[in-house]
Amino acid sequence: MSSKKKIIVIGNGMAGARLVEDVLARGGAEKFDFVVFGDEPYGNYNRILLSGVLSGTHDPKDIFINSLSWYQENNIKLHAGIRVTSIDRENKIAHGTDGTISVAENYDYLVIATGSSAFVPPFEGLKSEDSDKNKDGVFVFRTLDDCEAISNYAAGGKKAVVIGGGLLGLEAARGLLNFGAEVHVVHLMSHLMDMQLDAHGGAALRRSMEAMGVNVHTEKSTSKILGNGHVTGLEFKDGSILECDMVVISAGIRPNTQLAKDAGLTVERGIVVKDCLTTIDDENIFSVGECAQHDGKVYGLVAPLWEQTAVLADRLTGRKPEAAYKGSKVSTKLKVMGIELAVMGEKEAAHPDDEVVVYNEPGRGIYKKLIVRNGQLAGAMLLGETSTAPALLQAFDRNSLLPENRAELLFALNYESSGGAVSVDAMVDEAQICNCNGVSKGAIVNAVKGGCRTLKSLCDATRAGTGCGSCKSQVKEIFEFAAGDSAVEDPSIHYYVPGVPMNKVDLIEAIKDQELKSVSAVFDALAAGTEDPASKIGLASLLKTIWPGEYDDERDARFINDRVHANIQKDRTFSVIPRIYGGVTSASELRRIADVADKYNVKMVKITGGQRIDLLGIEKEDLPAVWKDLGMPSGHAYTKAFRTCKTCVGTEFCRYGVGDSTGLGIKIEKRFQGIEAPHKLKFATTGCPRNCAEATIKDIAAMAIEGGKWEVIIGGAGGAHVRKTDLLVTVETHDEVLLYMGRFMQYYRENAKYLERTWSLVERMGIEKLREILVEDSEGICARLDADIQAAVDAYVDPWLEAEEPHHPSQFMNSLVQIQPMQPTYAGVVM
Amino acid sequence: MNNLTTSLEPTAVATHCPYCAMQCGMLLAGTGKEVSVQGNNEFPVNKGSLCIKGWTSAETLNHPERLLSPLARNEKGKLVPVTWDKALNRIAVNFTEVQIKHGRDAAGLFGSGALTNEKTYLLGKFARLALGTANIDYNGRFCMSSAAAANNKAFGIDRGLPFPLEDIPNAEVILMVGSNTAETMPPFMQYIEAQRANGGKLIVIDPRQSATAEKATLHLRLTPGSDAALANGILHILVRDGLIDEDYIQTRTEGFEQIKGLVATYWPSQVERITGVSEAHMTQAAHLLGRAKSAMILTGRGPEQQSQGVNNVLSYINIALATGRPGRPSSGYGCLTGQGNGQGGREHGQKADQLPGYRKIDDTAAREHMAAVWGMDAKEIPKSGKSAYELLDALGTEIKALFVIGSNVVVSSPNATHIKKRLRSLDFLAVADFFLSETAQLADVVLPAAQWAEEEGTMTNLEGRVILRERAMMPPVGVKTDLEILCALGQRLGRPDQFAYENPGEVFDELRAATKGGLADYSGITYEKIKINQGMFWPCPTEDHPGTPRLFAEKFGTPNGRAKFHAVRHLAPAEEPDAYYPFYLTTGRVLSQYQSGTQTRRVAKLSEMSPEPLAEIHPSTARRYGLNNGSNVWLQTRRDAVQFKVKVTPTIREDTIFVPFHWGGAQAVNRLTNPALDPTSRMPEFKVCSVRIQINSDN
Repeated sequence: MSSKKKIIVIGNGMAGARLVEDVLARGGAEKFDFVVFGDEPYGNYNRILLSGVLSGTHDPKDIFINSLSWYQENNIKLHAGIRVTSIDRENKIAHGTDGTISVAENYDYLVIATGSSAFVPPFEGLKSEDSDKNKDGVFVFRTLDDCEAISNYAAGGKKAVVIGGGLLGLEAARGLLNFGAEVHVVHLMSHLMDMQLDAHGGAALRRSMEAMGVNVHTEKSTSKILGNGHVTGLEFKDGSILECDMVVISAGIRPNTQLAKDAGLTVERGIVVKDCLTTIDDENIFSVGECAQHDGKVYGLVAPLWEQTAVLADRLTGRKPEAAYKGSKVSTKLKVMGIELAVMGEKEAAHPDDEVVVYNEPGRGIYKKLIVRNGQLAGAMLLGETSTAPALLQAFDRNSLLPENRAELLFALNYESSGGAVSVDAMVDEAQICNCNGVSKGAIVNAVKGGCRTLKSLCDATRAGTGCGSCKSQVKEIFEFAAGDSAVEDPSIHYYVPGVPMNKVDLIEAIKDQELKSVSAVFDALAAGTEDPASKIGLASLLKTIWPGEYDDERDARFINDRVHANIQKDRTFSVIPRIYGGVTSASELRRIADVADKYNVKMVKITGGQRIDLLGIEKEDLPAVWKDLGMPSGHAYTKAFRTCKTCVGTEFCRYGVGDSTGLGIKIEKRFQGIEAPHKLKFATTGCPRNCAEATIKDIAAMAIEGGKWEVIIGGAGGAHVRKTDLLVTVETHDEVLLYMGRFMQYYRENAKYLERTWSLVERMGIEKLREILVEDSEGICARLDADIQAAVDAYVDPWLEAEEPHHPSQFMNSLVQIQPMQPTYAGVVM
Repeated sequence: MNNLTTSLEPTAVATHCPYCAMQCGMLLAGTGKEVSVQGNNEFPVNKGSLCIKGWTSAETLNHPERLLSPLARNEKGKLVPVTWDKALNRIAVNFTEVQIKHGRDAAGLFGSGALTNEKTYLLGKFARLALGTANIDYNGRFCMSSAAAANNKAFGIDRGLPFPLEDIPNAEVILMVGSNTAETMPPFMQYIEAQRANGGKLIVIDPRQSATAEKATLHLRLTPGSDAALANGILHILVRDGLIDEDYIQTRTEGFEQIKGLVATYWPSQVERITGVSEAHMTQAAHLLGRAKSAMILTGRGPEQQSQGVNNVLSYINIALATGRPGRPSSGYGCLTGQGNGQGGREHGQKADQLPGYRKIDDTAAREHMAAVWGMDAKEIPKSGKSAYELLDALGTEIKALFVIGSNVVVSSPNATHIKKRLRSLDFLAVADFFLSETAQLADVVLPAAQWAEEEGTMTNLEGRVILRERAMMPPVGVKTDLEILCALGQRLGRPDQFAYENPGEVFDELRAATKGGLADYSGITYEKIKINQGMFWPCPTEDHPGTPRLFAEKFGTPNGRAKFHAVRHLAPAEEPDAYYPFYLTTGRVLSQYQSGTQTRRVAKLSEMSPEPLAEIHPSTARRYGLNNGSNVWLQTRRDAVQFKVKVTPTIREDTIFVPFHWGGAQAVNRLTNPALDPTSRMPEFKVCSVRIQINSDN
C-alpha cells in the first residue's frame, strides 16, 4: 500500500501540466501519484506559440512541452481525450468520459485547471440552419486543432475577417496574411487592444497594422453572420455589411467553470480561490490557471498561471509551506512579425500625482508611454521600438525604483553595447549601432550602397546618430568603411550656419565686403533668398559682432528671450535680473528691488550664482513696467552675451586680498555689459589665489597675485562640463586686464562657432597658439581686435530702455504660439 | 623522508607561473633578492607573454613576511616559533586524540587547486590511509565543481577544455559565458584576438560589461542568475529557425526529445522578461551560433558559482550538442579552469567523493584498484565525505581537527564570518602556507611551506595538458615542501612505509600507477616526455602513447559513447532582490589580484594597482543614493554588512553591484555571499545574492 497521496489534475494545459512539472521539480514524485485528465488527445503544448504556428514561424511539433511518453516516464496516469463530467466531493472521486468509456478516479487532492474557452458571442446566423455546428468558414482561435483548421481553410487566398482586435485577434490577422488572404479586423471598441493601450497607442498600432495590409474597422458591433451554411459576410449593428469567405472569432475567453459550479464550489467570474490557491469551499480542492479567480482577478496570460503553479507546488511539497500567491503583474508582447509592441500594467494615469512620460514619433510609428507612481513603474507601453522593454519589464515586475532620468527608460542608452569596441569590419550586420533610432550596421552599409556619399546625407537618410549622438563616431567609421574612396566630405560641416553655404571666415568677409547689416540681407545675398529659420540666430549674433551699432536688429532673428530681454521660465513667466555691477549694491537699490517685488507679485526673489538678484515669475506684459520701476540696466541673464562678473571682496575689506577685485569687477561689467558673443560669457575677478570668486572656472577672469599683479585667465567652465582656466597673460594694471580681456573676447566673437563656449575654443586652438596671437601679436591683428571691441562697447544700449519704446506693439504681449518652439525639452518628449 | 632537493641550475630555469590555470611558461634566473622573470617563448600556451601577476610573481619568494619557522600557540594563546619536530608532533598527537575521542571522521583535511598533482595525490592518500577519514575536500569545490559535474553528466568525462587552445583561432564563433579572461587570464586573450583577426565572432554573456565583453561582437548583459533561461531561450530560437544539427543529434547524442519540449516553454518574450536580454540580441546570438561552421562555447565561474551551477552549465552544453559541436574541429564546449591546478586538483583524490584518476569513491572496482596501490584493504578506504562548504560548516561539531594546506578559507568561503566562527570552534587547527594568511592566523600550529619555484612537481592546465614545474631555487632555511610535510606526518601517524619518497618523481610514479585505467589516465606520462613535448595531454595510457589533445572525435566518455542532453529548467537563485534587499550582488576578480590575495596582496606593484576592493555601482543607482567615486558605502545582505569604497561605472547593470573577492577581514565580500549549495556539485552561490545599500551617516 502506497503511502503517497494521490493528486488528480483536471486539465492538461499550460497550468495543469505545469503544476505537475513544478511538483516533480521539487522532489514531489516521492510524495504524490498523479492522474491527469486532458480534453485534447495530445500531450501538452505551449498555447502561446499558436500564433507562431499560424504565421509559420513555428513548426507545430516544436510547440509540444510534454510528449505522451513523458507522462509514462514520470509515472503520471494521463487520461487524454477524457473529459471530467462530475466531482463527487463527499467520496473524493472524479468521474469522466470520452463519450464511450467512463472513468472514475479517487483523489486526496484535486486541482481544477480547466482553463478557459474562446468566447463566442451569440451572433445571429452563427450556426448552420440544419445543424448545431457553426457555419462553414467560422472559426475560433484557441487550440492546435483550430489553428490547423484555419490554415487549411485559408490556403488559397480568401477574404477573412477577424472579429476582435485584441492581442490574439491581431496575431491571428497577421497569420492569415501569410496565406494570401485579404484580412480585415473588426473591433467593437474605439481602438485596437483597448485593454492594454490608450487611444493614442491604439491609433498608432492601427496605422502599423494597416501598413502591413490588415484592414481595420473599429467601433463595429457584429450583429449577424451572413450566408447559407457557409459564411458570406458580416452584418453590423450600424447596418453596414462586410463580405467575406471566412471569420475568425477572437472575442475573448471565458473561464471553464461549469464543472466546479456543478460540484457546488463558489464561482464568480472564475473559481474563487484564496492566497493558498485552495477553493473557499473545499480545502482538498485547488484551482490554478485561467479558470481560477484570485482577489477578484482572472488571468489570461501564461506568466500568472505559472506563478500560481509554483506557489501551489511549493505548498504541496512542503518546500515553502507558507508560500502565498499575492496576484500577478501583467505584461505582454504582441507577437506579430514586423510590429514591436510591449505593454505592461496600467494604460492611463490613475492618481493625480502619477507622472506620465510620453515619447511620440508618428513618422516611424513609435509611441512610448510610461506611468510612474511613487518612483515606480505602474504601467508602460512601447510601440514601434522596444529596446528598453527588457529593463522596463524587470523594473515593473520587481517594483524597482526607476532612474531619475526617465529618458534612460525610453531609449537604450548604450545599454547593451552590441559592437562595443569592436572594429567595424568585424561587426555583424545586425549589430545595432544607433540605439536611439535602431539603426544597424547593415542598414548603414546599405544606405551608403544606396547612394549616400556624405556622412550628413547618410545620417539624414538613416537617422543614425541623430538621437543621443553617442554613436556618431561609430557611424562615421562604418560610413568610411562602407564608402571607401567614394566618400565625399560633406562641405556643410564647415558652414557657420546650416542655411548659408560658407565657412565663418568666408562668411565674415562676404558680409563685410557687401556690407550686409541684417539677417535678411545675408539670406538675400548669400543664400539665394532662402531664409533658413535655424540659421537666423547664429547670423544675428555674428552680425552684431561685425557691425556694432550699425546692425539692423530684426526681431524674428531672436529667441523669445532676446526678443523680450528676459529669461522665460518653465511656467512661461519671465525672470528679470537687473545688472548689479560687481555684485555691489546699496540700501536704496535693494529697497527699490523690494518695492518692485511687492508691486508685481514676484513669486520668488533669489540671489543668483552670479551675485545678482533674480525676480522670478513676472508676467510678460509687466516686463516694461518692471524695468522702468527698477531703474537699473539689464543684467543680460537671458542671452548669448557678456553675463556678469563675479567678484570677491578684494583689498577693501579682506585680510588676504592683494588686488582690488571689486573695483576691477565693476569696471569689467561697465565696459563689457551687453556685448553679444557666440555663447554666454561669465567673468570673475578674485583678489588673491584663494579664488573665492571661483575665477578658475569662468570663461574669462582676472586673479590678483603677489606683487599687485593680475593674471588674465581664460577658457574655464563650471557647468555640465568642468574645466580649469589657462593663463593668457600676467599684467600690472586694471587697464591692461581690460585690454586683454577685450582682445580675447573679440577674438572669441569672431572665431568661435556659434554656441561654442570659450573652453572649447581654447582647447581647440591651444593656449600657446592663443598667447602667440593675442599677446605676442603673431598675426598682427591685436590693434584691430582692440578697435573692434571698443566699437562694440560704444554701441551698447541698455535693451531695457525699450520699456519706454516697444519695438513693436505686441512685443510684450502674451502669445503661446510664439513661445512654443522654445520648450527646453528633449526633442519630442513631452513631460 | 630523505631530502627532496636537487642542486640549483646555474642558468635560467624553465618553470611555470604560480597563479592561474594557463600555467604560462616562464624562465626564472638568479637567487636571493635578484630573481628575474622572463616569459618562456618556447612554451606553446603563452608563447612568451605574461600578465602583470606573472611578471611580479617572484616578489613573494623573498618577501619579508614569509614564514621561516613553524609556529605554535603557547599557553598565552600567542603563535610563537617552535622546532619542526615539536610542530609536527603536536599535529600528530592532536589529530590522534581527536580521532580517538570523536571517531575517524572527526579529522578533516582541506586542500587546494593550487597544489601540484603529486601533492593532491598524496593529500588524498594521507586522508584515506594515514587518518582514515572521509572528510577531505578542497577549495576547487568553490571553483570548478559545477562545470566538472556537468561535464561528467553530459560527456562522461571531465577535462576542462577537450581541445588545446591552439584550436581557438579557427573557431568561427565563440560564446563566452560569465568569464572575464581579459582580466583573469590575460595571455588567453591572444587566442581570442587571433580568432577575431581571422574574422571570427565573439559573443559574451555577462551581467557586467567586462574587459572581455568590450572585445565582443555581441554582449548579452543578462540578469544575474538567469543563465539557464537565456540558454534555453537561445535554443528555442535555434529549434524554431531550423538551425540544429539533426544528424549529429541522431547519431551522437541522446535525450533531445525532452529538450524540445523544454525549450517550447522558453519563447523569446518570456526569456526576455527573465533575463533582461532583448529578443533581438538573443536572436542575433542564436543565429551566429547556429549558422557558423565551427563554434565553441566556453563557460567561466559566472554561471557555475550558483546554486543552479550544474544546470546552468548543462543548459549551455545543450546548445553545443544541438548545434553538433563537441568532437568537431575547432568546436565544442569547454570550461575555463581558474586555479593553477584546478584541473589536476580535481582528478587525484583530494575531493570527498573521489579517488585518483578521476575514479569514484563509491565504485567497487575503483576501491579495489586503489587498495592494491596503497597496500590496504579496500574496505578500509573511507566512504564519500562532506563537500567543502559542508565540511567547513561542520567544524567544531562533527569535525574537531582540521589541516588546511594551500588555501585561505576565511577569505574564499561564502558566508565567511560564519566560517571564521566555525574555525575558532575547532579543537585543533593546523595550516601549511608560506604567509601568515587570515586562516593561518587562527591556527594552533602553522607550518611554513615552500613556494612554487622551490619545488618540483606537475600541474595540469586548463587544456588538460600536464606540465612540469621545475625547481628554480632552494627553499629558505627552515621551510619544508608540502610533500615533506605530508611524509613527516604520515610517518608519525604510523605509516612509515607508505609515506617514504626520495623525490616528487617517486610520488608521480605512484600517481601514474594509481590513475592507470581511470578516466584521467596519467600512466603513460613521464617527466621526460613532458619536458620534450612541452606538456602531455591526458588520457595517456601507455608510455608510447602520444597523449590526447582532442577528445570526443569518435565517441564520448559515457557508457554508450553518446553525449547526453539534460532538460534543465531555469530556477531562480536562492535569493532574489526584494523590497528589503533590492539589488543583486555579484563577485569576481580584478586584473592585478589573484584568488584570496594571500600572494598578490603582498606584491607591491599589484597592491598599488588595486589596493582595496571597490564596489562597482551603476551611475543611475549611485545618483539615487548620492554616491560618488570614493564614497564609502555599507553593503548589507542577510548574513553580514561590509563597508566598501564605491566605483561608479556604467559597465554594471543598474540592479547589480559587483565587488571583487581578493580581500580578507573587514573587506571580505565573502562575508556577504550566500552559501546556498548546488544540489549536485555542492558549489556555493558566490555569484548572486540580494543586497542593500546603506549610506554612511558621515558621507
